[in-house]
Amino acid sequence: MVESAPGRVLLWTLASVIAVAALGVGVYFGQRSLHPSAAPEAGDGASAVFGLTLPDQDGKEQAFAQWRGKILVVNFWATWCAPCREEMPLFKAAQQRLGPKGIQFVGIAADQADKVREFVSESHPDYPTVIGGFGAIELSRTLGNRVGALPYTVIIDRSGRIVQTQLGPFSEAKLNGILSQLL
Amino acid sequence: MSPVAAAQGDLLPNERAFAFSARGLDEKTVEAHFVIADGYYLYRDKLKFTVEPEPLAGTPALPPGKMKSDRFFGTVEIYRGELIARLPLEHALPGQRVKVSAESQGCADLGVCYPPQLQSVSLPLPMAGSRPGSLVEAAPRKKSWLD
Repeated sequence: MVESAPGRVLLWTLASVIAVAALGVGVYFGQRSLHPSAAPEAGDGASAVFGLTLPDQDGKEQAFAQWRGKILVVNFWATWCAPCREEMPLFKAAQQRLGPKGIQFVGIAADQADKVREFVSESHPDYPTVIGGFGAIELSRTLGNRVGALPYTVIIDRSGRIVQTQLGPFSEAKLNGILSQLL
Repeated sequence: MSPVAAAQGDLLPNERAFAFSARGLDEKTVEAHFVIADGYYLYRDKLKFTVEPEPLAGTPALPPGKMKSDRFFGTVEIYRGELIARLPLEHALPGQRVKVSAESQGCADLGVCYPPQLQSVSLPLPMAGSRPGSLVEAAPRKKSWLD
């Protein structure tokens, strides 16, 4: 208990400074989480992606490092996610059109291998799909997917920086707009 | 449904969008509640309730949901708003604690789907002839100025 008046003033000043600083930190973090499609810590996030190795639907391990230098569009999805499936024809068309220009789509399925295999054999996405299991959701959280819902897409430019994240399906206009700027 | 770019700030976490709670109705019945936030829905065929240690007396009756036409899954039954289900137990356990778990899977109209979620609460069953217990929430709202 601070008895003297000046001592009390000092204590209150100190408490106010700490409170304001803490509020500032809180506001900073609050603002970051409210920004739609904000780019998360670019360096750490992208290197986490390039360090990944996950099995494709045939069980063959695919190292993401093979796609360095590409404009990489990493799409987290699942067969149980209807909006994810609705957006895939858009990705397929973009891959076919822009693949020769260095765009690479890769799907990470938060799903079971047999369900993914069945889906891929019916829909032929024309870009690689790897199986992440439900751990893929946690992986997407580390890349900025705060609510852990799907679809979640991360776009990495040629120099290996995350430039866009998207929760929810892309519109054709938005996807093409972003990709054409990166080409 | 037209694709909509969902702002991260607009979407609720899984346990907030589909908030589970339960109470002991009597010495052999649990009442399960889901409060589904506006703009979200749960799939009926993905709903599953379990109680421990006393098993349920058969599959609990679920209220009728709404039918939703889905391009991929066909016509599916979904729930919106509040969902209440009675879970009768095999045997009465007056005054004893039980663990009530709910598995669910849902989506937001904004165009995202959440992974399956398991939520549990522990609650006491009333003594014979006593009033129902109060609702125990799986993920109570914690007030924080960082929210």
